[in-house]
Amino acid sequence: MSVPELKKRVDVSVEGYVIAAYPVGENVLAATGEGELFLLDGATGRTLERVRAHAGRANAAALSPAGAHVVTCGQDGRARVFDARTLVPHADLPSPSAWVEAATFSPKGDLVAIACGRRVRVFGVDGSPVVESEDHPSTVTALTFGRDGKRLLTAAYGGVCVFSLAERRTIRRFEWKGSLVSLAMSPDDKVVACGSQDGSVHFWRLSTGRDSAMTGYPFKPKSLAWDSASSLLATGGDTKVTVWDFQGKGPEGTAPIQLDAHKGLVSSLAFAERRALLASGGEETAVFLWEPRKSRAPSAFGLTDDVVTSLRFGKGSLVAGSAAGRVTLFEM
Amino acid sequence: MTGTKIPVTVLTGFLGSGKTTLLNRILTENHGQRIAVIENEFGEIGIDQALVIEADEEVFEMNNGCICCTVRGDLIRILGNLVKRRDKFDRIVVETTGMADPSPVAQTFFVDDDTKDLFALDGIVTLVDAKHVSLHLDESDECKEQVAFADVIVLNKTDLVSAEELARVETRLRAMNSLARVVRAEHAKVPMDVVLDVGGFDLDRALEKKPTFLEPEYPFEWGGVFELTENVELKLEPGPDPAIDVVVLPAGDEPIEALAERVMRAHQKDPSSVAPDGVVEANGEWRRLVLGEGTCRWRITVPRPGPYALFTQHLPEEFSLELLAQGRALAPLRRRDFAAGHTHDATVSSVGLSATGELRPEALQEWIGKVLREQGTDIFRMKGIVALKGSPTRLVLQGVHMLLDTNQDKPWGDAPRTNDIVFIGRNLDREKLEAGFRGCLA
Repeated sequence: MSVPELKKRVDVSVEGYVIAAYPVGENVLAATGEGELFLLDGATGRTLERVRAHAGRANAAALSPAGAHVVTCGQDGRARVFDARTLVPHADLPSPSAWVEAATFSPKGDLVAIACGRRVRVFGVDGSPVVESEDHPSTVTALTFGRDGKRLLTAAYGGVCVFSLAERRTIRRFEWKGSLVSLAMSPDDKVVACGSQDGSVHFWRLSTGRDSAMTGYPFKPKSLAWDSASSLLATGGDTKVTVWDFQGKGPEGTAPIQLDAHKGLVSSLAFAERRALLASGGEETAVFLWEPRKSRAPSAFGLTDDVVTSLRFGKGSLVAGSAAGRVTLFEM
Repeated sequence: MTGTKIPVTVLTGFLGSGKTTLLNRILTENHGQRIAVIENEFGEIGIDQALVIEADEEVFEMNNGCICCTVRGDLIRILGNLVKRRDKFDRIVVETTGMADPSPVAQTFFVDDDTKDLFALDGIVTLVDAKHVSLHLDESDECKEQVAFADVIVLNKTDLVSAEELARVETRLRAMNSLARVVRAEHAKVPMDVVLDVGGFDLDRALEKKPTFLEPEYPFEWGGVFELTENVELKLEPGPDPAIDVVVLPAGDEPIEALAERVMRAHQKDPSSVAPDGVVEANGEWRRLVLGEGTCRWRITVPRPGPYALFTQHLPEEFSLELLAQGRALAPLRRRDFAAGHTHDATVSSVGLSATGELRPEALQEWIGKVLREQGTDIFRMKGIVALKGSPTRLVLQGVHMLLDTNQDKPWGDAPRTNDIVFIGRNLDREKLEAGFRGCLA
């Protein structure tokens, strides 16, 4: 059975490791490790805007849920918010640490939280300070808002903390003695999943606090993705994509769905907005599309030029970024 | 180790040992390399073009609180972000705080896949302050660990101590860590290739630098080169042993280290004894000088006047050893202390094992596995090159605590099959290790 190849509509270089690439309206937004932002024409790939976000370099970026703003995390002691459609600077978010390593928007897009060393700072999207956390036991590696936008979940060595914005303090801890490297909250706000340095994925059910560990990954599960129904969790940490099914009594005690096509480690994962359509990118430059509920075989493939560092579905498109600085828009 | 990996140098040493001075030298020296520095103690680094990154030494346990599975979480993150830069660095220097145990840094390069893929630990450089290191060694486990872990020990601030004190300190350091290269320095002035191209975790390169680096240990503690004529006397007073082994050989203008390597290869286990008033020829053969009562003298005969090297089993001062020409004591043109086979430090020492022939693979695996399981917390470093039965290539072993890396190295070809393993650690039982090792011989 031959797998169809995805057609590339845009395939251009942005001269820097792509830390994030998103479809924004008709265009594509890309952020590079060099600290630059690009707005590319979604039809031709032509550069419409190019902005230097950071004098130093950038570690990470995040797009607000509705695609109105983008935040970049610099190595110059600040994060910056830009209008995602025009790249006009919107706000500067000062950090107490030299490096900002992660950022996230609230579900409504009105707040932005940044991870600065052991602390987290929350700002209004206009840059007004809202709250700062106390020191975590170690550096915060990932963070996300709860669905109501009133709680912030952070991952670090030693577990997950739930921080209440209103109470300005940590109200819950999920402990795990290990270094957590990734974090993803299920869209229904019920389960927080983390990849750990020791080759496992942990998830905690918020209602009961119950902790489950899925061990035996050969590598660190650095990429995680939930489908919009909160029933499938796709995880990296291997050349296979391991998908845990939360429907029914699972996933505890059940065998995961394993999707095997990559020749290199899975480096990036994304689910489409509506149905359980999954995209995976690998260190060997390949991108695969899957429908895990229907088949263990990929439904389509595409190729980039290096490690796939970013994947995001748009309307009728899939945008990929690579470590060599290529941004590719595949037509769906 | 592939050529594409970025080499990482780790700089350890107590506060005041001169780390910042050395770091500034590394950064300002015109070596044409782009260097990123990851540092924990903020020294006075006044360098604009270098990238200096703050880190806060987050030591993470990997599992079950085993000492051997600690890594530096901050290092993993920082190195992971550094590879997102277009301008690649030629080298990374990681400075640790004065009281830091070097294990987590070293183990990061063994344990973390991302780090292993992109970076190669080149070597651990430990700075010690010649004036205070003895005190630190007596009082601090961290200082012992830093010395034990080192590939290179920079014995700094030599201008602050006497030659005798320096010799004593260097001997002590060598006894603790026979694998490290000890370099003396004032104001942290050392040649850059000594600290930046160590090859401490790449045995191939280390071997190129010093072909016999895994030799167990020198059978002598001291060597000196003297200008000798006819009629030179060697004078001894009674010392801690009833006899002392010596060898005299033509030195030419060879460095002492090269002579030492040659002498070591020719060392016989039981040299012929010479009673007082006997003769020692300068022919490179070992002689055992058996002491009598009081001051004893031997005559040294040389084929022609010129520079000759004298190597002695013990330090000359232990026997008040002197070379006399017309009754006047000769001063050595150059001299060096070598770590001796027996250690003076009861806690940290090096044990070298060496045998010709081949080892049985399964026996070796079982023995090393057992040693690392039972004594891994006490074993800081282990290096070895061995010949396995049925394998045409040399097997290289590298260990940090319980973590062991093995690599197939180049073919033996016609070279004689030899096995050398060195352990550096606390409370090592030489006899037991020796017996276990011998038990693996085919």
